[in-house]
Amino acid sequence: MHITMLCLIASIGWMPLPCHDKTIPFTWQQFESLHRQLQAPADAPWRTIPWKISLLDAQRTAIDQHKPIFIWAMDGHPLGCT
Amino acid sequence: MLDRASTFADPEIVQLLKSRFIAVAIDQAYHRRQQDAEGEFYRKIAGQGPRRDFKKTTQGLYLATASGKLLGFNNNRGGDRIKALMKKALEQFQAPTATPIEAGPVDDRYHAPLPEGGMVVRVQAKILGGYEPTTDYWSKIYQDSLSRDNLWVTAAEQEALVAGRLPPSLQQRLVRFHLIDNTRGEPQMWKAEEITSLDLSLDKGLLSGTVHLETASGNRGYKANLLGHIEHKNGKITRFDLVAHGQFWGECTYTPGAPKGKFPLAISFTLADGSDVADGVPPKGSRGWVRGYLQP
Repeated sequence: MHITMLCLIASIGWMPLPCHDKTIPFTWQQFESLHRQLQAPADAPWRTIPWKISLLDAQRTAIDQHKPIFIWAMDGHPLGCT
Repeated sequence: MLDRASTFADPEIVQLLKSRFIAVAIDQAYHRRQQDAEGEFYRKIAGQGPRRDFKKTTQGLYLATASGKLLGFNNNRGGDRIKALMKKALEQFQAPTATPIEAGPVDDRYHAPLPEGGMVVRVQAKILGGYEPTTDYWSKIYQDSLSRDNLWVTAAEQEALVAGRLPPSLQQRLVRFHLIDNTRGEPQMWKAEEITSLDLSLDKGLLSGTVHLETASGNRGYKANLLGHIEHKNGKITRFDLVAHGQFWGECTYTPGAPKGKFPLAISFTLADGSDVADGVPPKGSRGWVRGYLQP
């Protein structure tokens, strides 16, 4: 029986049937759980900061709002990459 | 990664950034090189600090006025130092007479706009076990980290998905550039020849399959199962929920400290809705060669 079919059958019965790697079974139930688990919380402090990703955009806003600019400059984009 | 969970988790710093500063996050490897107004303004500011050799990294935190006057620099982590830096900058700050800088022509080498009609999918990875227990503050951040990147899906690939097909270009891009352990830093991407096996199928909106990635030396690899839902309405993708789950092993130069042996790594994919500014960040895999990313 095709491996995909085995996975689907396992998901219907919520049985932890191995799909590929015998050391890690993966069911649709686990898929749902992991997909929920692997979402960054919207209220994580760094995500509540109104980051801009253009320095010129920041410059324009700094003029408008009479504020200084805070630049987070990393190797690789600080909001992505890792 | 470390900054997100340390400096930018400090409530006072977050509040100062929200209320007293205009916060901007950039990839300095691009900005110090790009020959356009954005790059020139960055070099004007960074050139007043200690890292003024633009052939080397200029990584750090810079505080500046809209006219480009540097108010402070630091390349350390930790709340107290950064708070002191911010407060000192605010004491010095006087809103300058400045005019908005015209963007002008952009340096295409360092601009990677989302292809016309393209779609962004959020990619987040987490190691689910295998680390030695630690009480070290910084190690704990790495061990608990959830990485973030974006997958780009072209307009043609979306059309194929709507038609019930899983285009090879998307399969290759997804596994080579996104089934990586980027939870401790920036790893190398997989080479085409490191795809030992790849068997994905899309049937009535259900995506399933397996992948085996491994370097020639066998020092790094990932064997995973994939499951997901891809749905569409009126010709547009409305859901792209996918998870890769399997055993990873090895590390790269810039991702040291992986668990010993094989360890469970899960990677999720979720259609971006544009509500997060990070949705606008180009994929790490596109860095330096967008065409190679889009046509792997």
